[in-house]
Amino acid sequence: MTAIDREWIVKKTLFVLAMITVLGVLLIVFFVARESIQAFTEAGPANLFGAEWKPKDGQYGMLVFIVGTLTTTAGGLLLGTPLAIGSAIFLTQMAPRRTRSIVTRGVELLAGIPSIVLGWLGLTVLVPWIRNFSNSAGTGILAASIILAIMVIPTITTISIDALEAVPRSHKEASLAMGATRWQTIRRVLIPAAKPGLIVAVILGMGRAIGETMAVALVIGPASTFATSLTSPTHTMTTKILIEMGESTGVQRSALFAMGVVLLLISMALILAVRMVTRERKTA
Amino acid sequence: MRVDVETDNIATGRTDMESPQVEIAGDTCEAVDAGINGIIKESIEKHKRRTAFWDRAATIAIWSLAFIGMGILFFIIGTILWRGLAMAIQPGFIFGKPEAIKEGGGIGPMVVSSFYLAFLTVIIVLPIGVGAAIYMSEFAKEGWATRAARFGADSLATVPSVIFGIFGMVLFVIYFGLGWCLLAGALTLALLNLPTVMRTTEEALKAVPSSYREASMGLGATRWETVKRVVLPSAMPGITTGAVLTIGRAIGESAVVIFTVGIFIGWIPRTPLSPAAPMAANIWHWYTEGALKADAMAIANGEAALLLLVVLLLNVAARVLARFYQKRLGTVR
Repeated sequence: MTAIDREWIVKKTLFVLAMITVLGVLLIVFFVARESIQAFTEAGPANLFGAEWKPKDGQYGMLVFIVGTLTTTAGGLLLGTPLAIGSAIFLTQMAPRRTRSIVTRGVELLAGIPSIVLGWLGLTVLVPWIRNFSNSAGTGILAASIILAIMVIPTITTISIDALEAVPRSHKEASLAMGATRWQTIRRVLIPAAKPGLIVAVILGMGRAIGETMAVALVIGPASTFATSLTSPTHTMTTKILIEMGESTGVQRSALFAMGVVLLLISMALILAVRMVTRERKTA
Repeated sequence: MRVDVETDNIATGRTDMESPQVEIAGDTCEAVDAGINGIIKESIEKHKRRTAFWDRAATIAIWSLAFIGMGILFFIIGTILWRGLAMAIQPGFIFGKPEAIKEGGGIGPMVVSSFYLAFLTVIIVLPIGVGAAIYMSEFAKEGWATRAARFGADSLATVPSVIFGIFGMVLFVIYFGLGWCLLAGALTLALLNLPTVMRTTEEALKAVPSSYREASMGLGATRWETVKRVVLPSAMPGITTGAVLTIGRAIGESAVVIFTVGIFIGWIPRTPLSPAAPMAANIWHWYTEGALKADAMAIANGEAALLLLVVLLLNVAARVLARFYQKRLGTVR
């Protein structure tokens, strides 16, 4: 075998390996969609997107869980984003070098904590606290939002740091040389310049929050009805899939896969959103 | 922008002055000028004080945000270790046989399952991820293939883990008929970790100076020889980091594992085709079936602490390994 033949074989092999990413996505979409067909044909879209989840009565509405996902995600982002972007500004603009390396390591560490461990802590510490304060079960949107806030912090912080560091140093220097204070520089120069990157950071944080399963499952339920308050139990799409998949059959199981399809569609939408934002930055 | 604000202030100062000035018609121009100057000075001073105040307030606010973040982190790590560490470091707990209903018992099979699963995941994902990254950064021209692979990797990175779980269950456990087993879990986790391995490897490959490649190819080496002998060794620290990250994620992952591997067993898994019960998924078992066992909570606390400890150690290991490689190769990342 000549060297040129070997080069050709190696190149083709590596190409096949790279295409496994595409194959993986296609397989996931195909199999999840295939399992959901039964729900669409037998229950119908109107039933599937209705507000009642009562499998025994043939009602498979996922609206409760869509609302659960959206509210907990919004709550998590509302609590987590200021902390995360604040930390990113701190790390890039204010922190002395040693503090900076300690905090950066802390953020990496936070990203590495398994979600089941965070959820377990939420269940055994956070939920009892909320129970005492609010005189309720303690599980629900509030607990889930707090846990999600902690989980989105590393994602948003890391990407925000990249975005803030990508702003040319000369922008900052020009602003400071004009007599602007550090805060004026951050608010009027750095944040506007880094805005597309910060938006991407929040979108990816949103993806993390929507997809999070274990940590939320431990602190949100169990109830398949709309939450009446921030501290009443409900479910999100991911937690509903987790909890009911094992013990369901037929249309109910298929309806859970239909929720999977909705989650996949949301993921795709988020990727497209990120691409749109980054493309805007490139042309601008 | 500051100049804008100040001109505004000066302008308002003047308008404020104009109406009284008309009424006191007898005053000299100089007195009016002095008055205006005073007001201008005062408004500049006021503006300076205000911006200084906001600068200080913002500094304090941002420092406190960072401190709150660190506080939360230390609280989390502290609480988990404080509650579970005493249990987690007992050999009888780490290596012991579990009890489903009776009190006591260890988590030996769960510990073995966790590491076995992580090991299988890494040996599956590393060749694929590193190979794909080499293709992307060394062989491919920018085109449909790289765009497709990048879109695939981005998509895999955003798919929720529970979706990977039910997908793995349908494809590997049911369709391929593997049943609940380590291999089914490892294959699914390999797909989940593929984007991370690809990204860290690609970054490492990009950091290798192009002069290395030019030197190698200038001596007559082919592209693959160059990659194998020059580029890959220099990129080792980055690849190692990716591998260690994968181990950490495979050990901590539970949503995938619940659907593909299992959540409770009383024996140590022997082959990749045995069902198993990694620690992370086992905590979920104690949550759902905790009522069966009086000390389920203590066991779960111990497992949580052990998991966290492993993740912390892997974090340190990744750093040490990267530094070790850097020293040995004398390359600067």
